[in-house]
Amino acid sequence: MDKSIVIDETNSKSSKINYSTIISKLSPYAGLVLSIVVFQILTGGKLLTISNLQSLTNQVIITALVAIGAVYVFGIGCFDMSLGSLVCLGSVVGGMVAIATGNIFFAFLVCMIIPIAAGIIKGIFASYVEVPFFIFTIVLGMVINAFVLVILGKETTLYLENAVTPIKTFNFTEMTVINVLVLGGFYLLCLFLFNYTGLGIRVKMLGGNYDAAKQTGMNITKIKITAFLVSALGVGLAAFLILIRVRTVGYSTAVSTGNDVMVALVLGGMPISGGPRTKISAGIIGAATITVLNSGLAIMGLSTGTIQICRGIVFLAVVLVASFSYRTKMLPR
Amino acid sequence: MSKELIFEARQLTKHFGPTVALNKVDFKVYKGQITGLIGENGSGKSTITSIAAGMQPATEGEMFFQGQSHKPSSMIEGAKTGIGMIVQEQGTVSGLTVAQNIFLGEENKFRTMGIIHASKMNKAAKEALDAIGFTGVDPSRSIDSLNMQDRKLVEIAKVIYNKPDMLVVDETTTALSQQGRTIIYDIMKRMREENKAVVFISHDLQELMDTCDTLTVLRDGNLITTLEKDQMKEETIKKHMVGREMKGDYYRSDYDGTIDPQVVLDIDNITTGTGLLKNFSLKVHKGEILGIGGLSDCGMHELGKAIFGEEKILRGKVTHITSGDQITTAREALDHSMGYVSKNRDKEALVLTASIQDNILSAGIDKIANKLGVIIPKNRKAYVNKQVQELSIKCASVEQNVQYLSGGNKQKVVFGKWIGRDCDILILDCPTRGVDIGVKAAMYQLIYRMKQQGKTIIMISEELPELIGMSDRLIIIKNGQLSGEFARSEVLNENMIIDVMI
Ligand SMILES: Nc1ncnc2c1ncn2[C@@H]1O[C@H](COP(=O)(O)OP(=O)(O)OP(=O)(O)O)[C@@H](O)[C@H]1O
Ligand SMILES: [Mg+2]
Repeated sequence: MDKSIVIDETNSKSSKINYSTIISKLSPYAGLVLSIVVFQILTGGKLLTISNLQSLTNQVIITALVAIGAVYVFGIGCFDMSLGSLVCLGSVVGGMVAIATGNIFFAFLVCMIIPIAAGIIKGIFASYVEVPFFIFTIVLGMVINAFVLVILGKETTLYLENAVTPIKTFNFTEMTVINVLVLGGFYLLCLFLFNYTGLGIRVKMLGGNYDAAKQTGMNITKIKITAFLVSALGVGLAAFLILIRVRTVGYSTAVSTGNDVMVALVLGGMPISGGPRTKISAGIIGAATITVLNSGLAIMGLSTGTIQICRGIVFLAVVLVASFSYRTKMLPR
Repeated sequence: MSKELIFEARQLTKHFGPTVALNKVDFKVYKGQITGLIGENGSGKSTITSIAAGMQPATEGEMFFQGQSHKPSSMIEGAKTGIGMIVQEQGTVSGLTVAQNIFLGEENKFRTMGIIHASKMNKAAKEALDAIGFTGVDPSRSIDSLNMQDRKLVEIAKVIYNKPDMLVVDETTTALSQQGRTIIYDIMKRMREENKAVVFISHDLQELMDTCDTLTVLRDGNLITTLEKDQMKEETIKKHMVGREMKGDYYRSDYDGTIDPQVVLDIDNITTGTGLLKNFSLKVHKGEILGIGGLSDCGMHELGKAIFGEEKILRGKVTHITSGDQITTAREALDHSMGYVSKNRDKEALVLTASIQDNILSAGIDKIANKLGVIIPKNRKAYVNKQVQELSIKCASVEQNVQYLSGGNKQKVVFGKWIGRDCDILILDCPTRGVDIGVKAAMYQLIYRMKQQGKTIIMISEELPELIGMSDRLIIIKNGQLSGEFARSEVLNENMIIDVMI
């Protein structure tokens, strides 16, 4: 055919820019900037003080690690509610190993192995069992929480100080270097896997239309398990970083992480149901926004309950707006 | 006889972002006439009719219906003023019964004291189905248990039940077999006799010339001309459609039907889960274009799926001869270099909310990744652009979601997705559905080229001319059994085939 060039390059690059796509791409960033500005004002400048910035960074790192990995899992349409509990389990068992052996490397291994094992189980479950996946993860989360209580026994908190041989304490600078390296490395890894291997497209397709993905001959079990493994890496790294930074872990470690991650993904601009609009940046941008939100509300002196309510409202608002703008575009033709 | 205007669009314009789907179109529809609408994929046919039916608003311009200014805000409002539309894509809702689909949004008719009377609704649904001559389906059945053709017929019954004064039939016939088409033709003729109006969109020139009183041609959002019955000639229409003379072969021009003795696929005595195929056997040879035809529920679509491992096989097996392996899942089929273009485009072949690029890539990512599994953006882009250009996919950019493409362009994406993979055995179920003649010709040439490269093509189709025009060997299935086999020949014609089909 001689009329072969049909991609209208001139059109897409012309002055008639497609505003709606640009707006939807930029809105997560705008949301982050907006929440920083708003809370900086509301807290009378207390949000961005040196000391609060330090604690903000520490929190962002944890939420972001879990959220970036979770992008894969939520991307394939698996609603995972067990992430927070797994961070807790990882750091508690890791802490126990650290105390018993005095070896930080063993602790690291344990922090990683636990979520990885759980990830494989989740992947198999998601592939073969016909129970809605989120129910499974709710139950899994509850079982893990109970398990943590059981293994902790009478002591509710573990202190790394009690280790058989002393475990190195990292000062602020060292901790910052570790944080940046771990988060940066993990982010790049996830970005690479998503955009420069077949995994990203497969995740998007699987989340977007299961039947079509299956008919494209994808190895669905493999994709699911891979997604859970990537997510497990994030969980494991988060568990380990909490352990070496806070040095005290217990039942309530990372209690709000699971919820924060879900809100983060939505605030980061990806649909909570996954599919083609899945993107890695949602994990990191969303984690920053939710952390600012949490911190700002806390500085303003709101109670934990009130903070929860506020977060719930933000979450619902974002989901509503997203699904609304999505629906109007879906015209039957 | 003076013609009485029923619908008029004046300077109708529609923009989608940078895309101009309609450009100041003046379109008239008269009572007692079947007005044909033709144009290349993406020329604006669905857009103009869906604006008339109230599915979406125009950017600019006015419409008049029955002499009144017409500005419907929804399809329901459009239906109330008297415009009914049978849409191009699937218009039924999953998870409901046939009757619930027919009376979707009108349940109140059957409500007494808050309770919906299912039996009353089913009875009314039965009447609606009978009215279009579609008997033999129980209205209380789930819509999901129906095949595509029957779902379409349910949709037609729903539209006709509201007694529209103007009926739009958007590219419906390509999804239907002869029986379904006859139903639609009868409805259109009846409407004409009742002095009502029909707008009929199709890519089948013959069908349009046979049924339409006038034929309006759109090209790139512009109304090019309206032809009267005596002006309708194939050459003229084509010229107006594409804006130049069309040259070259349409189907393949040779009649060499020699078949390589080497068998690549052995379908051995299979019975499928839906029971549509019974003890069916077939050997597929290397490098042949094997055409498969029959009525829509004869089992041919299930056969395609079964070969690709996507249909439950109760007894028997499908064997890939070269490797000796049995094919039971789509995964295995893919590993044996097989590909499958599903007839059910929106549900099984595309991820509508994903971009053109991702959809095309989804079947071929392993092909463009290097040994370490890494995909270089340049290769990815080249792979996608090749398909887009080869098939003239009309889009604003490859990052556009496929859901915003015109029907024919969506089909091209599906085709490109599998062609790009370079499969050895390609199963095509209605591959040219809704595709305009220009691109159809390109697809046929592609298929022929693949054959010449030694690839095997299994082409399942509702269109007999296409089967006759392309196949080396044509088999006809009836009630799940082989009922006829034809070798490629110049004398083969539709009547010979229909004889063994029905
Ligand atoms: N919702 C939408 N968003 C963006 N672009 C759209 C949308 N709907 C249609 N278009 C574009 O408008 C143009 C006209 O589309 P339309 O569906 O009317 O074509 P058509 O003539 O019906 O083609 P076909 O024969 O393939 O059905 C196409 O370029 C299409 O990509
Ligand atoms: Mg159309």
